[in-house]
Amino acid sequence: MAADLHMPIASLVDISSPKGAPWEFLVVFATLLIGPLVVQRARVPGIIGLLLGGYVIGPHGLGLIGSGNSTLPDLGQLGLLYLMFVAGVELDLNLLRRYRRSTVLFGLMTFSFPMVAGTIVGLALGWEVEAAILLGALLSSHTLLAYPTVRDAGQASDPSVATVVGSTVLSDTLALVVLAGVAGSAGGNRSAIEIAVQLIVGLSVLIGFSLLVLPALAAWAFRLLGAQRSVRYVVAITAFLSAATVAELFGIEGIVGAFFAGLALNRLVPNEGQLMDRIGFFGGAVFIPVFLVSVGLILNPAVMVQGATLKLAAYFILACLGGKALAATLSARLLGFSRPQAGLLFALSSAQAAATLAATVIGFQLGLFDSSVVNAVLVLILVSVLVSTIVATRASARLTSAEHGPRPLGTRVVVGMRDPAHARGALLIAVRIARADGGVVYPVLVLPDTAPVASKATRERFEKVVAAAGVDGLPSTIVDGSLQHGAIHAGAVAEATLVLVAEHEPSDEEATTGTASPEPAHGPVALVSGSVERLGIVRLLGDLGTEHDRETAEEIATRVAGGAAARIDQDDERFSDHLDPQDVTFASGEAAEKLAALPDSERGIVITMLDESAPRGGHTAAASEPAPG
Amino acid sequence: MSGTKPGRAVRLGAVALLAASLAACGGTGEMGAAGTFTPRTPNTLTIATAQIPDPGFWTGTAGHPTGGFEYGLGRALAARFGLAHISVIEVPFAKIVSGDLGGADLALSDITVTEQREQHVDFSTEYLAAPPAILVRPGTHVADVDGAQELQWAVEKGTTLQSALEESIKPEAAPLILPHQREALLALRVGRAQAVMLDLPVALAYARESPKTYAVAAQLPSEDVLAAALPKGSENVEAVDSAMRAFKADGTIERLGRTWLHTDLAEGRAEQIPALRINE
Repeated sequence: MAADLHMPIASLVDISSPKGAPWEFLVVFATLLIGPLVVQRARVPGIIGLLLGGYVIGPHGLGLIGSGNSTLPDLGQLGLLYLMFVAGVELDLNLLRRYRRSTVLFGLMTFSFPMVAGTIVGLALGWEVEAAILLGALLSSHTLLAYPTVRDAGQASDPSVATVVGSTVLSDTLALVVLAGVAGSAGGNRSAIEIAVQLIVGLSVLIGFSLLVLPALAAWAFRLLGAQRSVRYVVAITAFLSAATVAELFGIEGIVGAFFAGLALNRLVPNEGQLMDRIGFFGGAVFIPVFLVSVGLILNPAVMVQGATLKLAAYFILACLGGKALAATLSARLLGFSRPQAGLLFALSSAQAAATLAATVIGFQLGLFDSSVVNAVLVLILVSVLVSTIVATRASARLTSAEHGPRPLGTRVVVGMRDPAHARGALLIAVRIARADGGVVYPVLVLPDTAPVASKATRERFEKVVAAAGVDGLPSTIVDGSLQHGAIHAGAVAEATLVLVAEHEPSDEEATTGTASPEPAHGPVALVSGSVERLGIVRLLGDLGTEHDRETAEEIATRVAGGAAARIDQDDERFSDHLDPQDVTFASGEAAEKLAALPDSERGIVITMLDESAPRGGHTAAASEPAPG
Repeated sequence: MSGTKPGRAVRLGAVALLAASLAACGGTGEMGAAGTFTPRTPNTLTIATAQIPDPGFWTGTAGHPTGGFEYGLGRALAARFGLAHISVIEVPFAKIVSGDLGGADLALSDITVTEQREQHVDFSTEYLAAPPAILVRPGTHVADVDGAQELQWAVEKGTTLQSALEESIKPEAAPLILPHQREALLALRVGRAQAVMLDLPVALAYARESPKTYAVAAQLPSEDVLAAALPKGSENVEAVDSAMRAFKADGTIERLGRTWLHTDLAEGRAEQIPALRINE
């Protein structure tokens, strides 16, 4: 017995070398953790750390993840789809619309110059036509890696920045369409006509599914199941996977479908909303880094430092950055941008990451590229990211006349309410306004100071009503004796571009005591009286007050109506005959009083702009108090 | 545009593009995007394999191969590399995995990728998943590992299948360790053995060819894969890798599997064959 006690522990305990799924996941997640941290100390972007981390753990490095491993590549495949979905969903489509001329001009140039240059380089190297065209496509896209630098400098609304951001939609879409064509033709024995028909039919079905079916299904699912946050996230995941599946049914790469799904859900998933926050969180923490690590497995320094690989990388860099520089400079000249603005055009459009990696990996999987091309592209990515970061920092510093244009009305809409049960109409209106500008609605439950704690039932009803209206902003609760004051205060805190005060029956307290403070609101304030299940016709009644109020009311009405709203003469005695209980009517002063005289069931929703020069409480009483009974 | 010098930047961009194009034109004309294959014998792809015929994988003779999955794969490789001829030579399996391909460009011979073999040869990207499978006489059932342990086994010596048998099944009776696969099959046919461990695609091919003699009772969970072996340090690995990926992407592998192995091995698994649960 004594001898047993003195036996080495190692001989008593059976310890095997680490293996299996837990070990592999540990290796991968440790890489996700350590890789970016190490390189960021040297001021190198974290993406590079993940790629290098993949190499370290991969078959060309320590061999912790073997070449026969399928778990990481499978996860990486999901990450690739996720990456392209995020690329589509976070683009600001409003910029594309607002700066249509400049984004189309620059988008076409920044796509076509590197596309042509890359194709010429590929053909000159003696590559197959498909491989040469795919090289052009992967050089023609760009990723807005330097955008945070510019945004943090307060230059996000500069026309040059808006132009690049908007053009990303165009250039990445075109690059992916080219990729779809190349992938469809690679390796097959079909004629050009057969390939073209397949591509046109496939893209038509995919675009129809993505832009028509998907948003409708997602909006329906958000309304029906949206109260559960996790469900909204899973709906988004399901959406891009379904689009990827539809794409692959027609022989189109899944990443094209995932990107289109992102574009399709763009309006439903505002960039500042909770769902986007969650998509970004999981994407940034797990899925996309795992993809980058899986790409790093292919990275082979022995191949990368070979003369042939470095020569390839040099060609790619010249073709890509040369094409991007040419596009930026010519566009800047045609659009009248200054030199720093031209620098920003180049800096923001030169970084190669998401779509470039995606196209490269697809080319590798299709057997069009070997690992030397992949490694040369990784060198290009490294160089382009560094160049983009340096040029962005310098150009941003020299852009002294940064234009801080007004934020669109729907950027942040705060809806204050006392009773969620009667706030649906205001929420629906807020969602339409925000969606038109890619913004977010923040619902605020304003509790009276006489009952400062919301019951569980009230909180649940609040969240349910908010989710059912398709609102994605974080709901919050504040205590204030005045609904108007509380809503305006919440709007000021949130830097709201518009505050809607959802009144059902304005309280006597607000109407009579005028307790609201003269605290200035960041944006216009509108009182929304009445509630509806759905929104009907939108009308503008009468003169709508001051010129500023009128312009704001028209702007809101246009967003709510999805076009120009109908106008009704204030002197039209029969205007109330046209009213439907679902209708939305903008009114002020005498016209509002006339409406207020109507019974609830006939009035629909009445929106009155709050005159910012008038005392809050008094205005409430004058403008929007419906007649008793 | 005051104070800007776009002309210079335009010229710089244009010069960069021109330089890239010219440099590429004057560069290495032999630099293929998917790798370059240089055969040892001009215009001929020389393939080594251990045994012909090998049901499902090779039919005919070495001098006159007529079909099979790996023969089809070889033809597809030759076509991709623009080689007009194929030459097939028989080389013992043990010599192939020890790095002696008998002068062939590559070997296609049901070779499972292992770390130990990677020290002697370079493997291409895998072309088939090949979990170990249990080949029996029709009527013999293997419900679980306990049942498998009670059988008399035969297996080819020095293969990954021998390791799988000894580590996963751990037979009660000492298995017959035989130098060649054909001897293991003979032992099964004459009743000296009740089960033989084979790669799943190979086992399926035998069962398909001789359904009255053989049946596949079960497969073992495994990540084993088959790949082409190339001489260590061969400069053709990238080209063969790219080719294998292309054949998977364009359906060549799937088509060959359906034609010669009579099963859909797109994911490398034959779903109709039950998987034996192994106790770790």
